[in-house]
Amino acid sequence: MAVGEAKTYKIPIGPVHVGLKEPITTWLEVDGERIVDIKVRPGAIHRGIEFMARERNPIQVIYLAERICGICSFAHIESFVRAVEDAASISVPKRAQYIRTIMLELERVHSHILWAGVACYTFGYDSAFNLGLLLREKVMDVLEAISGNRVNYGVGTIGGVRRDITPEAATALEDMLDYYRREFAAFYEVATEDPITKARMRHVGTLPPEDAVRYCAVGPTARASGLRVDLRWSSPYEAYADIEVTPIVPQDYMGEVYGDVFDRFLVRVLEVYQSLDIIEKALLGLPEGPLMAEPKLPKLLALLKAADGVGWSSIEAPRGDDTHVIRLTKGDENVTWWKVRAPTYANIVSWPIMFRGQEIADAPLIVNSIDPCISCMERALVVDKKSGSSEVLTKEELLKRSREKTRRLMGR
Amino acid sequence: MSRRAEYTDKAMASEAVVSVIRERLGDAVEVVELRDRKAGLSDAVCFHDLWLRCPKDKLLEVLDILFELDFPFFHVMSGNDEGEAVLLNYHFSLFQGSGRASRLGVAVSVYLPKDDLTMPSIQDRIPGAEYSEREMREMLGINFMGMPDESLVFLPEDWDERIKPWRRDEAGPKPEQIRELS
Amino acid sequence: MLKMDLAKTLGILPRSIWVFLCNSGSCNGCDIEIVATLTPRYDIERFGMKLVGSPRHADALLVTGPVTKYMTERLKHIYDQMPDPKVVIVVGNCGCSGDVFYKSYNLDGPVDQVLPVDVYVHGCPPRPEAIIEGVAKAVLKLEALRESLNSKEADVADVAQS
Repeated sequence: MAVGEAKTYKIPIGPVHVGLKEPITTWLEVDGERIVDIKVRPGAIHRGIEFMARERNPIQVIYLAERICGICSFAHIESFVRAVEDAASISVPKRAQYIRTIMLELERVHSHILWAGVACYTFGYDSAFNLGLLLREKVMDVLEAISGNRVNYGVGTIGGVRRDITPEAATALEDMLDYYRREFAAFYEVATEDPITKARMRHVGTLPPEDAVRYCAVGPTARASGLRVDLRWSSPYEAYADIEVTPIVPQDYMGEVYGDVFDRFLVRVLEVYQSLDIIEKALLGLPEGPLMAEPKLPKLLALLKAADGVGWSSIEAPRGDDTHVIRLTKGDENVTWWKVRAPTYANIVSWPIMFRGQEIADAPLIVNSIDPCISCMERALVVDKKSGSSEVLTKEELLKRSREKTRRLMGR
Repeated sequence: MSRRAEYTDKAMASEAVVSVIRERLGDAVEVVELRDRKAGLSDAVCFHDLWLRCPKDKLLEVLDILFELDFPFFHVMSGNDEGEAVLLNYHFSLFQGSGRASRLGVAVSVYLPKDDLTMPSIQDRIPGAEYSEREMREMLGINFMGMPDESLVFLPEDWDERIKPWRRDEAGPKPEQIRELS
Repeated sequence: MLKMDLAKTLGILPRSIWVFLCNSGSCNGCDIEIVATLTPRYDIERFGMKLVGSPRHADALLVTGPVTKYMTERLKHIYDQMPDPKVVIVVGNCGCSGDVFYKSYNLDGPVDQVLPVDVYVHGCPPRPEAIIEGVAKAVLKLEALRESLNSKEADVADVAQS
């Protein structure tokens, strides 16, 4: 804090973004270069999805659920159909469970590679960004071979899956596994050996473990703070009942844990390797059998119309715990009510803690480190409360500061 | 009363948790169902979901018991306008750091009469409940006494706060506000 | 009716176009595919197209998403900040017609209810190849707009001289 009058500035960031993700507005209170507090204001992408579900039957809601988020679309379908299967007591054939697991893990690989590329872009590693986005094309090819589309696959349905993994798709999967085990090592090195990335990410945006528990952090953000939480381990579903998954925590690999951006990077990179192993095991153990509990759509709809109950499902999406709760009423074809809690909303609550005391130049890194399905940083308006003067910092300015800090650390 | 903020590594069996709740609260809390969730090649029971129902003045006591067993992880609050009353479900998890297949999901249902849509806020003990409380306030009109931030979270700034989108009575959105889009 | 074949598309693309991306409430699927067009596999950057950080530098506005009430004014403000000549390209079904999002209390879309749209790229999300074709069509339109603006200025200058 400066001697004399302490001036704090309020910088709004958002709501529009270049690049990837959805808009959100945050207000940063700063003192010089240090961030004092942050207030978050989501709502730019509130489309009223849960409200819209009231006029649709559960099959139609699958396609609505898929479009909640473009990156974790299958995770939302999975959580939703599991909730409906819980409410209507439908059991899923074994082959479908394994195919769902493979799709979930493929999506996790895609999401983490995309995130690793974007994280490198935020602090200036453009070559790593382009490498990351090129690597990701391979998993999208496999997803397209299985489902027919690169994003929004539409593979899951209530009681099973709609597409099978043909022998050609299985070969493509195996090629992909080899490819990634060779090529992803570049990111692994960035994560573990490069001193510049370590200097840039260590002790930035720290979330202590007690705060991670009290603020209910989920997914890699919680694991990076040292907590051993992973829904695939603590409450197995689908093929995870047969395939053991242990939560990846930094202290097992590096010996120490700080809960900063570096730890989150490390956890995600290691999770890609873990997912590749899980896909391999699921592919080897893929059982024969039907793909759907009820293949005829009218019969399925009649079954759902007669179902009565409330279902709850929480699964481990790439960003963390994705919870869906749904209520079906007997005699009513439409969904009665539906509640979705995407993982990012659980992690955003911990942003104020991660931001305090950090520099503005680190703000893009911290925002991106929880892998938000919402993003910020387009324009920042710095307003001096006392004098009333204002200065506009564009998104380019903020990113430029972030990347210049890397160059300063490199000694140039 | 609040437990230190960490997840326990000693899980309890779900039936034992049910006994503890029945012992301590007796008839005040109704154990609606203990559901088995099965998966895998052998259709094994992988974890349980416990559905409870309690009157609104007993919620904090249920929370106290959960705190004794583990720091309850808060998922979300779901709810609905049931006509005469408003239903509010709290979704917690216990023992999610304790071991493989040890997690117990606990859902507590509370029915609130429409002339008294208030509940005590749990943000002082579980700060992670902030967004859910703000969301239930703007969507269903439930006031959480003691909540630090009462501003809108998902609805736009110029939204008329008297209209609660999820309500099915006169507080809900009017038909003219619902657009077909195309 | 603009009929595009590959040779013509490639012939147009060398004229570089700077785009600004505005997400007005989409799920990000289209935004990711737009970023994918910049990456090594599709690599539209070699033709000079780039994403800029401010609408004041942009020739084209890429809009995704059904416009939520929160974003309506902001979207219009961004459009106003762009200098003429400009084109608006809507990417994705929800911006074109609403897609699965109908009967909501918080949507002002589709985008043509808020802004004048020049090119619609359909798909959920459209493939990067489709986005590139959409941008190529927009470039043609932009060239035509530039020509007409230039000829208007020439007319005014003639009148002033005589």
